[in-house]
Amino acid sequence: MKLPRSRQLPRPMRLPDSVWAIRCVWLRYFDVFRKSIFYYLVTTFSEPVLYLLSFGLGVGSLIGNLQVHGNSVSYRSFIFSGIIGQTLLFQGFFEASYGAFIRMYYQKIFQAMAITPITLSEVLWGELLWDAGKATVAAEVVTIMGVATGDFRPISLIAILPLAFLAALLFSGMGLTVAAYSKTIEQISYPQYLLVFPMFLFCGVFYPIENLPLAAQAVAWIFPLTSVVSLSRTITLGFPFEAQAVPLLLVWVVGLVWVSRSAMVRRLVK
Amino acid sequence: MIISDAVPPLKVSHLTKKYRLPSGDFFEAVSDISFEVKAGECFGLLGPNGAGKSTSIQCITGFYPATSGQVFIQGQDVHAVPKLARQHLGVSPQEDTLDSDFNVFDQLVRHATFFRVDVAEGRVRAQKLLRQFGLEDKAKQPVESLSGGMRRRLQVARALISRPQVLVLDEPTTGLDPDARRVLWEVLTQCRKDGLAVLLSTHYMDEAERLCDRIAIINQGKILDIQSPADLIAKYISQPLIEETIRPGTVWKRPPNLEDVYLKLTGSKLGVNGL
Repeated sequence: MKLPRSRQLPRPMRLPDSVWAIRCVWLRYFDVFRKSIFYYLVTTFSEPVLYLLSFGLGVGSLIGNLQVHGNSVSYRSFIFSGIIGQTLLFQGFFEASYGAFIRMYYQKIFQAMAITPITLSEVLWGELLWDAGKATVAAEVVTIMGVATGDFRPISLIAILPLAFLAALLFSGMGLTVAAYSKTIEQISYPQYLLVFPMFLFCGVFYPIENLPLAAQAVAWIFPLTSVVSLSRTITLGFPFEAQAVPLLLVWVVGLVWVSRSAMVRRLVK
Repeated sequence: MIISDAVPPLKVSHLTKKYRLPSGDFFEAVSDISFEVKAGECFGLLGPNGAGKSTSIQCITGFYPATSGQVFIQGQDVHAVPKLARQHLGVSPQEDTLDSDFNVFDQLVRHATFFRVDVAEGRVRAQKLLRQFGLEDKAKQPVESLSGGMRRRLQVARALISRPQVLVLDEPTTGLDPDARRVLWEVLTQCRKDGLAVLLSTHYMDEAERLCDRIAIINQGKILDIQSPADLIAKYISQPLIEETIRPGTVWKRPPNLEDVYLKLTGSKLGVNGL
């Protein structure tokens, strides 16, 4: 029996079905966020702020200026810009790994939503876009602070957004992939210690990777945080544009989003 | 409410589900099952653990793709057009899938939005359902504070928030005390009066005998028979009275019941002697 569409789904202003569904999932996350906004503000923003204060003011005052790519830049500005990459990595990865694992494994909300008019594919898009959106906002907060302290170029406020969103999607995809393959929540620690922390330490957040041996530089470029940090410095500090960062970033984004979604579907659906 | 005589609210047609085991072999969990559930009817799926009840239900909701066969909800193919089909479907899965990030009331309202029910309307419906399920005074409580029976009731209430035409309940009373079961049974009776088609999977024979108009006995993925409980008993059990040794030296004589049919058909070694 085919009903007229208007009777099946009574709503005067209708978005395309999939857009509506993804928005619906996203609003579920936003509602949770709204209900415990203090918790989220503390957990989302305290971390980058603490890094900024500790490394920027503490370590920054010890080191003074760096010579990078022939530019002289204060260590504080250098590290502020790196903290954008670190924020995207941590916020994206942790929300999509531990957060999504809890939602999928303990709360089973993916399973509950995907038997309504929303499909599992849309649930997973909603998850990724929420995780990525939250990390993007956190990175924007760091950028605002950097502009306010005079470390970043004012144009960064807007120019950082496309980079931040793509990088956030990348690290969310990485987190969701980990959630999909982890049998227990403890197993998430392996990629956390063997992938996320090494990236944090070796991909140019704290020092220019030009100081590493050539072989180590090549390895660093394989990991996506290096591309993110390079582009972040180009945008915020006007460092020379390293062209390989763009295709590397795009390949990682597309690859991880695709792998994370198909791995999660394979895990849940027989 | 939209009820059509021509199209059954739920129609399962030659549904088969195979999947690959970790060993690499294919396992046929559901083999060519077909049945229809009419408006106002309660249809039971009865079978031992591992018989394929839950896999069938996962295919009927469209969460698992079918290997072959089709499932129609209000005439809409759940695998081809899941969004349209599931607009008419309410499901209470076997596992607890309540969203612990929301309290009891908000949980229902949030779930309603997945069916394009706006928040104002969702609140009205949630209030009514909580009253019906005896959970009114728990409205603002977190889900964790509820007992097992209350959680189960809330999950069934959540399945009804979208005013579906087809209600699927996968073992809704497993682990409930008699009181909580009664509440669910009463609500089910009300739902059927309102014209819902109910698909119920259960382990409890008394529950199946009491609630279901027709029962499919399912074992190793196949439907062995579909009949009303009384017809099943008449068809498979010839003795007017069943003798059972319940304690050493104590023999009970009782009329046959659905459990005897179930044990006979599913071939359990624990069955009553002589059937």
